[in-house]
Amino acid sequence: MSSIISARGLTKRYGRTIAVDNIDIDIPPGRIVGLIGPNGAGKTTALKAILGLATYDGELSVLGKNPSTQRAALMEEVCFIADVAVLPRWIRVHQLIEVTEKLHPGFSRERCMKYLGKTKVRLDHKVKQLSKGMVTLLHLAIVSAIDAKLLVLDEPTLGLDIIHRKDFHTRLLDDYLDEDRTILITTHQVEEVEHILTDLIFIKDGRIALESTMEDVQERFFSVEVEPDKISEARRLAPIYETRVRGGQHQFMYDGVDRDTLRNLGDTHIPRVADLFVAIMNGGES
Amino acid sequence: MPANWNDSQPIYWQLKERTVAMILDGTLAEGEALPSVRTVASEFQLNPITVSKSYQALVDDGLVEKRRGLGMFVCAGARSRLLESERTRFLEEEWPSMISRIEQLGLDPAGLLDAIKKKGN
Repeated sequence: MSSIISARGLTKRYGRTIAVDNIDIDIPPGRIVGLIGPNGAGKTTALKAILGLATYDGELSVLGKNPSTQRAALMEEVCFIADVAVLPRWIRVHQLIEVTEKLHPGFSRERCMKYLGKTKVRLDHKVKQLSKGMVTLLHLAIVSAIDAKLLVLDEPTLGLDIIHRKDFHTRLLDDYLDEDRTILITTHQVEEVEHILTDLIFIKDGRIALESTMEDVQERFFSVEVEPDKISEARRLAPIYETRVRGGQHQFMYDGVDRDTLRNLGDTHIPRVADLFVAIMNGGES
Repeated sequence: MPANWNDSQPIYWQLKERTVAMILDGTLAEGEALPSVRTVASEFQLNPITVSKSYQALVDDGLVEKRRGLGMFVCAGARSRLLESERTRFLEEEWPSMISRIEQLGLDPAGLLDAIKKKGN
């Protein structure tokens, strides 16, 4: 199958503000893509366009469909968890399951019950009786039980404690993921999902600052702790970012410079996604 | 339980090295099945593609074989071949630098060998 999501020149304007500025995206099936950017960078706007929740300019194809004109058909194959709690507080879990069963042709009650069995959520609970973490796991159980090709998660673990965040990621890998399912996830807690992700998209001021597989990232970017006497040599190799760390050392980040060359300067590391993010967001301006 | 990955090698490589260590010390016996990609992905909170890539690297090295519909298994002879290559690596890479260190410190090789023999008893 070709791309799950394909965008060409995707643009979204709010009046004079350009929230998403002429971006191209290609997401093949089976990938777990992190869409990462600072607040206001255009992440949620891009997701809204992909889900057919907002108008846009440019070409956009999601599961081979046009989100703005074929939204109903698209929704049969896409699941979405928004960053806001959208489950009604008064509803009981069994009522929620009944409603979803009637609304969504791809929903499997059996699978949902299996997933819920791994959580502390009970059928007679009302949503308002559940902690935020439990509501998120309930939401994920329902969404995972829908036979969807694409799952879109907008800050799914926002406001959860670390135990529930870990639980959420485990459930996501256990229950939702199989080979042809695709996940698009936005998050600020990059360090917790970086090993789950297969691909990174950094978005900055409405534009793509980086689109790469994690594999390529680990072979392309290196950070080096440079001793003071080698700083000018390090600068000549065109680092994308330079920062001063404790003990008078300088840390440099490089894109596409051979690792053996960098080893002459100091200890080389594969940067964490969070550090790479800071480097790419802040680099290019100095 | 996430493992303590270091930042000097890609994760798939480190996962491969872990599996190699398990074959070497016999935790994973020859003919034994490797845990499924899904199990490893979930246990270590890694994406399945990383786990698959690490398993593929083991296949490429002839240490692990894929049996259709059954999963991955440690090849017959994998441990002895690993031992062989580890021995070669030791003799070619580690031993020469140890020899120069022994010479540098003026240690008596015969005395060192005696210490090894005593430890063996």
